[in-house]
Amino acid sequence: MIATAFSSLVPMETEEAQIARGLHRRDPDLLDALIEQYQHRLLRYLLHLTGNRAVAEDLFQETWLRVLEKGHLYDGRNRFVTWLMSIGHNVAIDHLRKRSPCSLDEMKDPEDGVPFEPESKGPSPLDSAVAKQQHEMFNEALSQVPAAFREVLVLRFQEQMKLEEIAQLIRIPLSTVKTRIYRGVMALRPALKGGAR
Amino acid sequence: MTNHEHERATDLIARHGVDDIAATDVSWLESHLSQCRECAEYAGAFEQTGNFLRSLAVTAGPALVTSTQARVRARAEQLREQQARMVLVTVSFCIGVLFSTASAWLWWKLGGWVVQQLGLPESIVGPGVLLFWLLPAIVIAVLMVTVPHTVLSHPLLLSLTGEHEGEIR
Repeated sequence: MIATAFSSLVPMETEEAQIARGLHRRDPDLLDALIEQYQHRLLRYLLHLTGNRAVAEDLFQETWLRVLEKGHLYDGRNRFVTWLMSIGHNVAIDHLRKRSPCSLDEMKDPEDGVPFEPESKGPSPLDSAVAKQQHEMFNEALSQVPAAFREVLVLRFQEQMKLEEIAQLIRIPLSTVKTRIYRGVMALRPALKGGAR
Repeated sequence: MTNHEHERATDLIARHGVDDIAATDVSWLESHLSQCRECAEYAGAFEQTGNFLRSLAVTAGPALVTSTQARVRARAEQLREQQARMVLVTVSFCIGVLFSTASAWLWWKLGGWVVQQLGLPESIVGPGVLLFWLLPAIVIAVLMVTVPHTVLSHPLLLSLTGEHEGEIR
């Protein structure tokens, strides 16, 4: 979308370079477009990270304000979405540090049992009921998985990020990313088996 | 099966779909999965996890997007004003330094001329000009020491120092 909007002006420039230039200028129109474009992905990431919709929405706004303030640091060499998610990650970590020095899991609201809205699955009521039950089971299992594992799973499966990108984003070694993915998948396995029955 | 083979399989499974994997690696993985139950189960769980996670729809409401855009625009405006103010302060500072440097030279020359006209020793030009430069600060300091209740108890000064009226005495 951004690329199309600017392609007539600077045809040879990459989308990332255009975004970097716009962020350096603090271009409000570009920021509006970026918020529109990445709204669901960023909120989904923050929601999986925190497990609480209200907190995730607050962090969503904070993330975009930080994008505005730190925009000059984005050089356009990496994908914008990776940089955006790393800002979101830092905002979430800062929020956690302010609230409590313990693990990310403490950000989860214990009363918020169903943090995610499952997509409508089948047309028949029976299919819907089964799908709903499976999703609830999976959501429950997902909420039990430590936030550090949940985060890499979301980045790997929902954001389709390469393992190296995830390592760069969270600033952890590549081997740790692989371990977290493995452990996250294994932690969800009982729920998946239950759901498959 | 060695640990190295399991590790290689786990790594290839994790990279599948997001990384470019060589055809030889793909065929090796397929062959390994057909022989290794443990890795095959992991591959199955990996795929199922991906399917479930991708099916979870999370959408940002229009109100959230609108309010975020408004906040970002307001903050951008604020930052632009701050930046403009900083430019103004920097320019004013540079002009101030320039003029004070130029005027110091003029005052020095004037002091020398006055001393020459009055027939005073030239050695007093330096201390004289220095005193002239420090005079405003000296006057303010003397005023603050001699009239503490009227100057130091001013509400504006108290608010700047973070004290409340009456505490100063």
